Amino acid sequence: MSQREERETARGARLALLGIAAIGQRAFVTLWRQPVLVVSTMVFPVLYLLILGNAMNRQLERVPLAVVDEAGNAFSAECRRGVLALQGGRRLVSAAFPADRGAALDGLRRGRYRGVWILPFGLSPSGPAPSFIGDNTDRFSFEALETALRQVWAEASAPKETASAPAVRLEAYPYLDYLTYLGPAVVCLAIFMGSMVSGGLQVLEDRMFGYHEGYLVTPITTGTLVAGHILAGAIVASVAGLLVLACVLLLTSLPLVTGPSLAAAALTVFLTSTSIAALWFLLFARARSASLLRGMFGIINVLLFFPSGALYPVESYPAWLARLSAADPLTYGLKALRNLLLRGASPQAAYADWIFLATFTIVCGVLTKVLFRREV
Amino acid sequence: MSRAASVAATLPGAMPHPIEVEGLTKRFGKLVANDAVSFCVRPGETYGLLGPNGAGKTTLIRMLTTLLPPTSGSARIDGHDVVSERSAVRRAIGTVSQAQTTDENLTVRENLSVQGKMYGLSGRLLRDRIGQRLRQVGLWERRNQLTRHLSGGMRRRLEIARGVLHAPRILFLDEPTTGLDPQSRRAIWDMFGELRADAPLLSIILTTHAMEEADFLCGRVAIMDQGRILCEDSPDALKRALATGERVELETDRPIVQEDRLAIAEEGAANLRFASPTRVQFEARPGESTGRRVARLLEGAGYHIVHLSIALVTLEDVFFAHTGRALRDT
Repeated sequence: MSQREERETARGARLALLGIAAIGQRAFVTLWRQPVLVVSTMVFPVLYLLILGNAMNRQLERVPLAVVDEAGNAFSAECRRGVLALQGGRRLVSAAFPADRGAALDGLRRGRYRGVWILPFGLSPSGPAPSFIGDNTDRFSFEALETALRQVWAEASAPKETASAPAVRLEAYPYLDYLTYLGPAVVCLAIFMGSMVSGGLQVLEDRMFGYHEGYLVTPITTGTLVAGHILAGAIVASVAGLLVLACVLLLTSLPLVTGPSLAAAALTVFLTSTSIAALWFLLFARARSASLLRGMFGIINVLLFFPSGALYPVESYPAWLARLSAADPLTYGLKALRNLLLRGASPQAAYADWIFLATFTIVCGVLTKVLFRREV
Repeated sequence: MSRAASVAATLPGAMPHPIEVEGLTKRFGKLVANDAVSFCVRPGETYGLLGPNGAGKTTLIRMLTTLLPPTSGSARIDGHDVVSERSAVRRAIGTVSQAQTTDENLTVRENLSVQGKMYGLSGRLLRDRIGQRLRQVGLWERRNQLTRHLSGGMRRRLEIARGVLHAPRILFLDEPTTGLDPQSRRAIWDMFGELRADAPLLSIILTTHAMEEADFLCGRVAIMDQGRILCEDSPDALKRALATGERVELETDRPIVQEDRLAIAEEGAANLRFASPTRVQFEARPGESTGRRVARLLEGAGYHIVHLSIALVTLEDVFFAHTGRALRDT
């Protein structure tokens, strides 16, 4: 390389760095001056965690159940004791003992009870068994009640002397409630929201207000524009993600987190942020009106957030959904975060996910650069 | 129309003109926004594109500032082709577009700082330059205010400071004073003087539909209509070239009788009007002393001249003479 070429290269690199710095400066200052955006990016995910986590997390409690004892024998007494134990112990049910089955079924139809358990005359292991009539409009309660009552009957009817030892049940990791399971998903939600308020979508907004005419006439290259906006969006999203991660750590109990996995989690947040920022920019590289964004937001939210396994394990998806999930960068970010935060895995466990996220970012960035038009 | 361009071509080794436009055409489907436009701008010149809205001024500016590719024809900015050497063109130019290109969530200084970095300015040089430009446009006192709190006129001045931040060789201004009140407009005109004093070789090309602005600011003016340049010269020369370029108004001490009215018409007075029996207005070809001859004729007939004014017409009249339509702020 001649000296002159070297100088040109150095000048180009300097211009690129300064261009990225300028885009970043603008992204941060404008975000900071619009508190509503800060609130929507940082507070919304935490609220999501608190409300959805607490709404869905719980074991069922105080499910109203009517028990009609028509047998009045030793077995039925044992069953009633079992139901009272459910009520007193894990408080699954709130039991009532109406006098006859007519009153109980009437209560079921009026929504007073979620289930009616009838202990028929002559109840015995060899004779008539209890019958369960449940309100199947609420499947959660229906299944929980049915399972619990079947267990009560099994214990009541089992010959005492042959009672088997309780089955062995091992949990591989310390007990995690749904709130904790949701933690990494909420970090991804923050990344999703954060990448929306700056980065490539800023370009869309600029196009609407004409601001872009100011920088498209400068010597900044299209590559720098694309890289700068992806990076700016990624940094804003990372800050949102990390702040929400801190909140998650405070609000939930993640016992296994150590220094290296925390650092790896932070890197995962950053890489996920770049990939989402790059995807946004690619999707809107040619867009000219914000109504497109308004219209698409819900669709993209559904296409990215739910297939990622944020709320339900990916493994149980049908094949078509699994394919969508496999292309979704959030899936990988979430998988890495869960491995690092919930399972306390060492950073090596996230390498493959990192590679996917970085590749995804680069592919989106290159496509955006090709698609991006400087003409107004 | 390609006179200027051909002059440059016939002078081998001559410095290229800052702006050389040759047969530049832009079509949007069937609509022809610019039809074979040719002109050139000299170093240190302020060149005005005057025309009504829809004349193709903004499209022309956008092609020259690399924001739109031309359909055909060529344009060289500072010696660089606007299609094949876009980044060299972008380095040489500063632009102030009609759109609001300052971010209202940034302060005055932050806006310039972001822009400066895109031109590769940084550190002390950038800081000094920002200070210098803000003083030139009279916004130094407001440097830490959010842009959204500036008045329309101040915002326009900030846009101009932004356009010249990196000391471009050529400055494009698309309707720099449209929508401003007369005082703000005046403030911007004064600012041009300051910029000129600082950069005598800066070539400025500005579009406007305000003829007094073109008259006041521009060394040469091109009158545009329907995508074409109809004529191009200094404002005075454009007016003098008209057969009706001089406007004369005469008032006498007593009513002018019919016989003398006919005599005035015979002296070559066009568009003869009698605003009152004692007051006559007409237009004449500049340089033929028609006004003076009419005055002498009336004095010879025993009238006493109470008032005589002879003035060049406005660019508005020039526009009317070339298009048959009035140039209206529509």
